[in-house]
Amino acid sequence: MSLEEGKLADLYRVMVRIRTFENAVRKLTREGKIPARFGLYTGQEAVAVGVSAHLKTGDQIGSTHRALGHLIAKGCDLHRLMAELMGKEAGFNHGKAGPYHTFDPNTGALGANGVVGGSVPMTAGYALADQIKKNRMVAVSYFGEGGSNQGGVQETLNLAACWQLPVVFVCENSSPEVQRMLGHEIDYPQLSIDNVSLRAKNYGMPGSTHVGWDVEEVYRTAGRAVRRARSGKGPTLLEYKVHQLEGNLEGRLESNEKERQWDPIELMGKKIPRTLSDKIRADEAANVQRAIDFGLSSEEPAPEQAYTDVFREVS
Amino acid sequence: MPEREITFGQALNEAHLAEMERDTNIILFGENVSSQWREATKGLKERFGRERVRDAPITETAFIGAGVGAAIVGMRPIVELMLADFGLVAMDQILNQMAKSTYMSGGKVSVPMTLRVLTGAGTSSGATHSESLHGLFAHMPGLKVVVPSSPYDAKGLLISSIRDPNPKIFMEHRLLYPVKGMVPSEAYEVPLGDANVVREGSDVTVVANSLMVREAVKAAEEVEGDVSVEVLDPRTLVPLDEDAILRSVGKTGRLVVVDEDYLRYGFSGEVVALVSEKAHGKLVAPPIRVATPNIPLPYNQRLERELLPNKEKIVAAVRKVASR
Repeated sequence: MSLEEGKLADLYRVMVRIRTFENAVRKLTREGKIPARFGLYTGQEAVAVGVSAHLKTGDQIGSTHRALGHLIAKGCDLHRLMAELMGKEAGFNHGKAGPYHTFDPNTGALGANGVVGGSVPMTAGYALADQIKKNRMVAVSYFGEGGSNQGGVQETLNLAACWQLPVVFVCENSSPEVQRMLGHEIDYPQLSIDNVSLRAKNYGMPGSTHVGWDVEEVYRTAGRAVRRARSGKGPTLLEYKVHQLEGNLEGRLESNEKERQWDPIELMGKKIPRTLSDKIRADEAANVQRAIDFGLSSEEPAPEQAYTDVFREVS
Repeated sequence: MPEREITFGQALNEAHLAEMERDTNIILFGENVSSQWREATKGLKERFGRERVRDAPITETAFIGAGVGAAIVGMRPIVELMLADFGLVAMDQILNQMAKSTYMSGGKVSVPMTLRVLTGAGTSSGATHSESLHGLFAHMPGLKVVVPSSPYDAKGLLISSIRDPNPKIFMEHRLLYPVKGMVPSEAYEVPLGDANVVREGSDVTVVANSLMVREAVKAAEEVEGDVSVEVLDPRTLVPLDEDAILRSVGKTGRLVVVDEDYLRYGFSGEVVALVSEKAHGKLVAPPIRVATPNIPLPYNQRLERELLPNKEKIVAAVRKVASR
């Protein structure tokens, strides 16, 4: 079953937004306008977009150190996100967070995380609060195949199943063929199994593996898991195989032409009329340009900003 | 011994190479230790094989704990932690098991393991990728804590650490990696617990560690002519060369302690406490601490600079303490 054209175009638009934003980030980093290099989401857009299409504003996500796709798909404002990456006062977190620690609770992005697997236990907590409040909200916990091994992640899978929490675990496996870490082809594998989703059974929840470069497949499979969580039937572990198209965290892995065949945006673009896809790309380029202009024209935080927010004032 | 100029990272690599040649019980593992992009360990897998040099999954608890276990039964593991902050994932294995096994066993077992840890701010990496944390490790009984500041010390201290029969946290500031210095090509030891007078002086003692030794030396050079600054690098926080600190303060009567780690409950307070307990009568001015305030390190470079110690802040502290 194929999605209708309007829905496809909506999904395509957000994927293009992420890609365009990240291309700008890459350039701004090279130019020194963004002070740090960090992991990008290029090639994985279909996952965040296909999942987030089922989420409401009050649903929370826990993300990773490749968070931009997750944040944008969840609806984060591009202007404030770009300002944060530039370390500006108008950023979501006054320039204190940067790419690894961005929090935007108003759109349900709680948040990026600098420690591999670090957000996963907290995401169970977002879901726990939803369960207690009976608000029919859900949480989505993103992590990679590397993060899937962390003790905290394994413990959280167990806890979520024991408590039947309304959470969807989304593992983006970016080593579908050769196991790599930060672009380095490792001499021992990180995983002794092909599919992370095999672990779901051990913890007592459904699990399945899908291609992460086909947004329609992501949309369908994530929809089932989100509906299951929302209706109080408990957690699911979804695994999506993805190809990172623009090299590793430190840009040391040459982008691989062969991997272009798994570019989710190129694949998707073939399914909608050319005039529409052209318009979407032009819209999003303008959208991202406005975010860049906003970020560049924003103020640096005052030095005093360094000392605030260690504790919240007692009211 | 012939000396030549190499980087801090190359010096670490040479220490691994020399010791692994010498002792086949030395094994090495951690995240990406076989990578050509990791200077301290590159080439070691090719030289010693994948039996002894292993990439570990991103599971700090498991691979640090495996190091502890292997050490207890006779291996000499060198385990690399990609960043100090990530060690917090494995606090039980480090702060309970690694640190306390010797004592808890009544000396029946020991943990001759070296946990190499990359540390340090100044790269706009934010609150979970920038910490020093040597004070945290030094606070726990049972861990030796090594903080080299130069290529020469990096090689000699790592060799001593590997040979020492106890658990060691060996902390390498990321910004020291490209720093060059003269290093002998042979293997040599720099003893643990032996401070280095990096620069002699008579008016003010500046005690600093790791990257901050370099900032302290720059500060000393800047005030030269006005204030004669002695820069003392303890090189290891545990054991701490108390005599060297007391000797220097006995000479100068004035103390500034510089630390990139957090101010409260840390190295800087420890040194001031030592001096006030054992050399109180020698001080002619209140000591000054220049350390990172207890605030998570922000992403923005301007905010990060605001919080971190640097040459300018050390100069100000030196001038202030010298004016009393």
